[in-house]
Amino acid sequence: MSGAKILVVDDEPQIRRMMRATLTSSGHQVDEARTGEEAMQKFREFLPDLVLLDLNMPGMGGLEACRAMRSGSDVPIIILTVRNAEKEKVEALDAGADDYVCKPFSMQELLARIRAALRRAPASAESGPQGFNSQDLDIDFSGRRVRVKDKNVRLTPKEFELLRHLVMRGGKPVPHRELLQAVWGPDYGDETDYLRVFINHLRKKIEPNPAHPKYILTEPWIGYRFAMSENSENE
Amino acid sequence: MRRLLRSTIRVLVSLTFIAVIVLVYFKFVTVNPTTVALTLLLAVLGIAAQWGLTESIIASVAAMLAFNYYFLPPIGSFQIADSQNWVALLAFLITAFTASQLSIRARRRTAEADARRREVERLYALGQTMLMSDSVRTTARDTVNGIMRTFEIPGAVVFSKGENEFFRSDPQTQTISDEQLRWIAGSEEPLIDRQRQIAIMPIRLGGQVLGSLGFIGCTLSTAALNAVTYLVAIGIERARSLEEGSKTEALRQSEALKAALLDALAHDLKTPLTSIKGAVSHLLAKPRDAEEKELLTIANEEADRMNQLVVEVLEMARIEAAKFHPERSPHAVGEIIAAAVQAHEEALKGRRVELHIAEPLPPADVDFEFIQQVLKQLLDNAVKYSPPGSPLTISAAVAGERIVISVTDRGEGITEDEQTRIFEKFYRGRASRDHVLGTGLGLSIAKGIIEAHGGKIWVTSQPGKGSIFSFALPISKEELVR
Repeated sequence: MSGAKILVVDDEPQIRRMMRATLTSSGHQVDEARTGEEAMQKFREFLPDLVLLDLNMPGMGGLEACRAMRSGSDVPIIILTVRNAEKEKVEALDAGADDYVCKPFSMQELLARIRAALRRAPASAESGPQGFNSQDLDIDFSGRRVRVKDKNVRLTPKEFELLRHLVMRGGKPVPHRELLQAVWGPDYGDETDYLRVFINHLRKKIEPNPAHPKYILTEPWIGYRFAMSENSENE
Repeated sequence: MRRLLRSTIRVLVSLTFIAVIVLVYFKFVTVNPTTVALTLLLAVLGIAAQWGLTESIIASVAAMLAFNYYFLPPIGSFQIADSQNWVALLAFLITAFTASQLSIRARRRTAEADARRREVERLYALGQTMLMSDSVRTTARDTVNGIMRTFEIPGAVVFSKGENEFFRSDPQTQTISDEQLRWIAGSEEPLIDRQRQIAIMPIRLGGQVLGSLGFIGCTLSTAALNAVTYLVAIGIERARSLEEGSKTEALRQSEALKAALLDALAHDLKTPLTSIKGAVSHLLAKPRDAEEKELLTIANEEADRMNQLVVEVLEMARIEAAKFHPERSPHAVGEIIAAAVQAHEEALKGRRVELHIAEPLPPADVDFEFIQQVLKQLLDNAVKYSPPGSPLTISAAVAGERIVISVTDRGEGITEDEQTRIFEKFYRGRASRDHVLGTGLGLSIAKGIIEAHGGKIWVTSQPGKGSIFSFALPISKEELVR
């Protein structure tokens, strides 16, 4: 997976220099932006395959830029930030980011995340259900569409993949590691806190009562499970 | 003296008035006695209404005598031939008495209303004076001066219980003593001594005693005294809440400032580290030879260590800045333990981890992330300070109103004198500080987090056998959120 066009957005010149050097030597094509505004312009002109976005910038911040890019595109966005608080992660994911990397990071880790983000989800030609239907929830894999109580719900690509993987396993518990690797890539597996954020987020979007989920259930010590029939809702 | 003179003049004017009427009817206008009597009656009525009882009684006696002498037969003598004439005389007297009483009462009412109006005006002026100040001390001082000025009394004193201070118009005089003021504030019953013209009122607001207020040389009505005291109570309470409000605001602003500074500091320290780490880690992926690899590995590890130090120092500062407010909700303890163990999977490889989690276990009222961080810290320590391959135990059980979670290792243990010191900032265990990497902040951060949850953390240890680190968390009263 070399030769991707990567847009690096950061207000720190030394970080841009370091990223340009390392990413270029790893075979990527790099363009830079110093602010959110400049990023929006480069996003339209450079047409990147992936965006590395710093959160903390003067003017239009990273979150706002992320939302603006996401509103018209599914290009993977990885947030880079010095803060490591769950609130920040949730905000970044809310804004439509695919991944979240804390500064400082090792280049190997970042490159792995870039590879994972660029790896498109395989087409849903696998065996297993093609979707899910119930009274208030309607999931269509091929159309990548989710409806809750007859209203379209927008899921980010990662949220959709997570939901799809849970449904595909047909009501069986799916371990944390398996979920992480299926949705993010083989280099993932320890980011259980990460999974928790996405699951909470997904529950808020599709569960009638996110505090008492009836579809996405927690399997303590193991992982998560999608309840196919409504009477399996107990725990 | 002036009063006597004024009365004498009034009596003389009244008598002259009666004399003029008698003279006019006797010499110039001839009318029947009834007309004369009615005219005189009107005159007496007028005098009574205007001046009062003394003047009107003297006037009515004079009128009766003159009427008798000049108009009632036998004319020219004070004898009364017809008994009906006694009626005229009686009418004069009754009119004089009744009219004067009525007018006196009306005048007293007017005077009272005037006094009340003046008191209200003064209270208003006093209120305005008091509401200008914004501290209890200046309010008390303004109250003393304001009371003296507006009520024109020689002295006043305020005792403020909160400050335990006396604010006197004249610090020399103890007409009202400190003890009296203190006693009235305590007894909550006012003391009003009309003879000595002093009054001491307890200052109360909503059942709370704020102090007491003394008036010297005071002729104010009880109602006015109550009103003034109430006003003073409001003034003092207002000043006190203003003082407290500005303190809270100042505290809040300094907390916000600290938080902003810490964020800026975190950003500025981590930004250069990001460039270093990125560059070094990239080179480390394809080193040219063993020497380069060794040197780059050192640089890479030290960048990590520097970052760890930055993170922990800032975290400690944040917890100490009182900015730290865990976001608590009910969480299953088992899930927190599972998350922490999973996060440490790599480090725990080759070790047996025993779990003793009591069933059923109520949910804990905690911030998931932070408690997981505490557990990770304890697991991290257990791994660092016990021989590779030795087993670890994690247990959770209810103890009274709390859930106690413990991490047990089979390490070297901790001596008794070090057991409290290891929770201190930057303290590193004596035996291990040379060969185990660390900042000495991990346990103090864990302690800060647990204490912010209203819990506690402690260690029991037997040197040579191992250590048990435990912390107690509050049980959630709510249902578990899954």
